[in-house]
Amino acid sequence: MAQGGPDVGVITEKTPIAKIKPVRFLLNWGRRYSLWVFNFGLACCSIEFIAASTAKNDFIRLGVIPFAHGPRQADLLVVAGTLTDKMAPVIKRLYDQMPDPKYVISFGSCSNCGGPYWDSYSVTKGVDQIIPVDVFVPGCPPRPEALLHGIIRLQEKIRDEDIQEKFRSGTTAVS
Amino acid sequence: MGRPLSAEEVGSRLRARFGDDIEVADTFGQLAATVTVDRYHDLVRFLRDEPELACDFCDFTGGVDLGPDGGFEVVTQLTSTEHHHDVRVKVRLPSTEPTCPTISDLFPTCDWHERETMEMFGIRFEGHPHPVKLLLAEPFEGFPLRKDFPLMSREVKPWPGVPEGEEVEDDE
Repeated sequence: MAQGGPDVGVITEKTPIAKIKPVRFLLNWGRRYSLWVFNFGLACCSIEFIAASTAKNDFIRLGVIPFAHGPRQADLLVVAGTLTDKMAPVIKRLYDQMPDPKYVISFGSCSNCGGPYWDSYSVTKGVDQIIPVDVFVPGCPPRPEALLHGIIRLQEKIRDEDIQEKFRSGTTAVS
Repeated sequence: MGRPLSAEEVGSRLRARFGDDIEVADTFGQLAATVTVDRYHDLVRFLRDEPELACDFCDFTGGVDLGPDGGFEVVTQLTSTEHHHDVRVKVRLPSTEPTCPTISDLFPTCDWHERETMEMFGIRFEGHPHPVKLLLAEPFEGFPLRKDFPLMSREVKPWPGVPEGEEVEDDE
């Protein structure tokens, strides 16, 4: 906490109240239902991702808020599409700008492992080579329902999470 | 607006002007002219400026790798928006140090097309105003669309599929 700053509000690895069990439950309950998502659409997967945000599938009912104006407001990064080697430094930079605690969903075969471009000269074979990924959603492209499932899986992960552990384990990218 | 010239009509005009420096062929009703390297620029200029041909629009410039013995080919597709006919221009280049004159002074759109051909095939375009990579990241080494460019993933694990036309039909 910055000197003279408030004692409540910002969650850090030093937030002592987060250790108390009912508080931890409440904190994680709040966090998992208020994931402000940052759209990183790179290919056709982002169309499915956008479809998941619109009326029919509507992931805002799961508390995922579309879409953050920039990485500095976002809690969740969804990488949807083909990541190229030329784009890789950009995604690393935007990820680093997101405030902790932050989460990443890799959406679709391309961002999982390269997908149909597994032998390409220009495609990064998996976004997890650049930034740590919490949930992988398979499919080419996955249906919006698959993303909803991935979001629920991420929320289960956040539910059981120790926030101090999350900070200690290091959410910064593998370099 | 004029009428489209047939491949034969375009071919005879080009033969009259360039003689033995070009070979013409009718490819599906469209003329494909293979020209020597030193007349390439003249030919494109002639196709653009001759009122009867008036090829005022360049669709693309690209490259072809014809294998270890075939060398390279630069292919340029020109279209006339006035007469509605198309002409394809090809230039054969050797496999070592392929160099071709630029036509980006005639068609500015070729600037980017030639830059892409340059980075993908390693074909040098002489006189190009800005010969740097267009699409690839700057540290990229090699020319990925050359046939001898190794795909590292395939070196580790061969492609598991079957070439098109050789699939085994299972269903009745």
